[in-house]
Amino acid sequence: MAATNSSQSEYVTIVSGDGFEFVIPRSTACVSGTIRRMLEPSSKFSEALTGRCVLENISGVVLEKVCEYFCYNQRNKNQTNVPDMDIPPELCLELLMAADYLDT
Amino acid sequence: MRNRTEFQGYELTLHHQGPTASRSDDFDANWEIIQSALKQIHTKNASHLSFEQLYRNAYNIVLISRGNDLYGRVQQWEKDWLDTQVSARATAAISPPLLLAKDVANVQDQANERRAAGERFLQVIKESWEDHQLCMGMITDVLMYMDRVVTADHNKPSIYVITMALFRDHVLRAPIPNHPELVVANILESTVLFMIHLERLGHIIDRPLIRHCIYMLEGLYETVQEEASGKLYLTSFEPAFLEASKVFYKAEGQRLVETGDATEFCKRATTRIAEERERCTYTLSPLTEPKIKEVLDNELIRAHISEVVNLEGTGVRTMIDNHRLEALKEVYVLSSRVDGKKLPLTAAVQNRIVEMGRDINASALVTATKLPEKNADGGKKAADKDKEKPINQQTTLAIKWVDDILALKTKFDSIWKDSFESDQVMQSAITTSFSEFINSNTRSSEHLSLFFDENLKKGIKGKTDDEVDALLENGITLLRYIKDKDLFEAYYKKHLSRRLLMKRSVSMDAERQMISKMKMEVGTQFTSRLENMFKDMAISEDVTASYKTHIKKSGDPDQKRVELDINVLTSTMWPMEIMSNSRGDEVQLACVFPRDIERLKKSFEEFYLSSHSGRKLTWQGNMGTADIRANFQRPNGKIQRHELNVSTYAMIILMLFNDLPAGESLTFDEIKAQTRIPGHDLIRNLQSLAVAPKTRVLKKEPMSKDVKPTDKFFFNSDFQSPFMKVRIGVVSGGANKVENQDQRKGTEKRLNDERAGSIEAAIVRIMKQRKKLVHAQLMTEVLGQLSSRFTPDVNMVKKRIESLMDREYIERIEDDPPTYGYVA
Repeated sequence: MAATNSSQSEYVTIVSGDGFEFVIPRSTACVSGTIRRMLEPSSKFSEALTGRCVLENISGVVLEKVCEYFCYNQRNKNQTNVPDMDIPPELCLELLMAADYLDT
Repeated sequence: MRNRTEFQGYELTLHHQGPTASRSDDFDANWEIIQSALKQIHTKNASHLSFEQLYRNAYNIVLISRGNDLYGRVQQWEKDWLDTQVSARATAAISPPLLLAKDVANVQDQANERRAAGERFLQVIKESWEDHQLCMGMITDVLMYMDRVVTADHNKPSIYVITMALFRDHVLRAPIPNHPELVVANILESTVLFMIHLERLGHIIDRPLIRHCIYMLEGLYETVQEEASGKLYLTSFEPAFLEASKVFYKAEGQRLVETGDATEFCKRATTRIAEERERCTYTLSPLTEPKIKEVLDNELIRAHISEVVNLEGTGVRTMIDNHRLEALKEVYVLSSRVDGKKLPLTAAVQNRIVEMGRDINASALVTATKLPEKNADGGKKAADKDKEKPINQQTTLAIKWVDDILALKTKFDSIWKDSFESDQVMQSAITTSFSEFINSNTRSSEHLSLFFDENLKKGIKGKTDDEVDALLENGITLLRYIKDKDLFEAYYKKHLSRRLLMKRSVSMDAERQMISKMKMEVGTQFTSRLENMFKDMAISEDVTASYKTHIKKSGDPDQKRVELDINVLTSTMWPMEIMSNSRGDEVQLACVFPRDIERLKKSFEEFYLSSHSGRKLTWQGNMGTADIRANFQRPNGKIQRHELNVSTYAMIILMLFNDLPAGESLTFDEIKAQTRIPGHDLIRNLQSLAVAPKTRVLKKEPMSKDVKPTDKFFFNSDFQSPFMKVRIGVVSGGANKVENQDQRKGTEKRLNDERAGSIEAAIVRIMKQRKKLVHAQLMTEVLGQLSSRFTPDVNMVKKRIESLMDREYIERIEDDPPTYGYVA
């Protein structure tokens, strides 16, 4: 029952290692290859069933930026001359690692 | 999915500094978790597993540079799993019946048993495969991070590909216990082939099940490079399938031909083709469709089609005879699959057309050959009346000939359209055959012209424009087939002239339509003379009208008694035999017209020549008609009046009796001397006046059918007719009929003369343009130029060339190769 609900629901919840929750549209979350696979309905992992992804090794600050990037990416999909996203220098390294981890 | 990531370049430098690297560098602990998860996934128990956790574990392993080890461990674990669990299940599902009947021949007895076992086995294979696929999909997702790094760093195939190959080697290629020479794949193959064989025999099988097994074979490759050509389906199953099909259809083809029913053969072949196409879509792979089609084409069609087409009693010939469009269509479709030219079919159709055409020709010629014999028996004059009937019959036959051909043509047109899909090749084959047999009848031109004549005189009465149009169009199609178009022109001209002069044509519109159709079909040159005939007719009308006004103006009361309708014909445009005054060798003097008529004639000549000086008018008494009012004195004193419509000659003859006291007679010779009507025409006119039962205006003594020079003729005042107006036709003169042998010779001779002229003209035209030409080339050009009118005889052309050289139009320049030059 839960599986069908989550596969239908338009929003998913992304949770950071330190407990911050981000509710974003499913399609937006799927900018990340990792999250997309995680939510794959056919795989029946717990994330897919509940629609809730806990990312243990990413902090809330970084995850916020990541979610922002998801939106940015989706908004500017298939466009040219897009303005760069504003990234605070202190987050750079951690964002890079998160990007690698999330296959974004 | 790493679209638009500006971080990409740094990826490899990060591996040793992951955020959690310090926390877990314990490979074994991580592997334990993953290993247990693998098992959970394979036992379909993944719902409590966290993707993120597993992913993070694999991530951590990769970060401590043990990714390659993880890859190896997973591979090993999967191998063990497949060996112990999946393979065991698959081999266990193989029951004895599947092993026994390797050959599909004796299917009957154990069919059901084997089938049930086969379905069980396929079901197991299918499930194993689908489970494996699904689980490996999940595992690959979880291990994605490892996959990304390891495949890139160590140049290894993705873990998914590797485990698929493992499935191939450890499940499909697992040996079967007690049968070391066999592997699971062999059983799979033979089972699927067996199922297909069952289906071909008309059983119902579980198509989706087989389709899934085929999907599996399509999803597996010989190598980890996964080239499209390396699909297991293509490397192992398909060849076996094609081979089995070949054997099956060879036997089937043989069997069907032996039953000797072409229709059945085609029906079966067509269904088989549809079946195989369907099989490729629903049971096997679309990839196989062209190949199985090839097998069918070769084994079933190409090997047997010509035999089938020519099958006695059921082949194409019978289909045509019985007008079985559906069957023909099947034959056509089958033929066109294997052969663009469809040789056996075209040959059969052509043969049949020519055969049927010959029959038509033969039936038309039956009486034609009888006729000369009768002539020989009956003597010259006696034949006249006797000939009447056969000639009429022959005319009917000629028209029947055309009708038959048209019917045949319609038949084949409908076959061509409905069965042969309006195929170009077939059309030209049909056309050739028609033209072949039509031209094999030497009288085809005459027959066709008679057909037009008949229709334009009577046939189109009461028909709508469309019907008339269709009728003429049909005739024109036949004209297209006739090679000697000039011969047709000659006949048509002759028949047309009769129609025009005797006003026998039903509708001038139809006549014009006909001409314009011919013009489109054969060209302007062909119809120009025919058109001129129409023009002459039109001008003549004007001349007649203006002559009448002229007479009115001049106010000569005497002239009013006779009205004149005149047709002034241009002698070159109209058929020669009508125009010529001389028959045979004796030169004919112009006949003597009665005084009144003579005066009228003079007056018209004066009138005509005053406006057209320099022309010469020749009066053609044999073509004209006259209306005369005749009074018959009855014995009781009453006077019966009739209007007689007679030929000009008959009018002249009757006028002689005006001057004769009642009861007096004239002999044949007297009449001849007084009128100078040609003997031949005189006999015919006297026959119609004195012999024909309904129009006996004259009495003859002695009363007999033949007219002899000593016969006496009296005016028959007892003449009776229910009608006020009486039409007295001239015996065998007016109507257009089949020519007798002599006339034909004449026509041919005239035709040859005309052809000689055409050939010479063509040669001179060509030489004038080319100045110098090799003989062979000249021949080709001449033949090419004239082919639209007729097919010139090569010898005739040679003779014409020689004659032109004699007359110094051209000269021989070289002897080898023979070359001619134009003499200006």
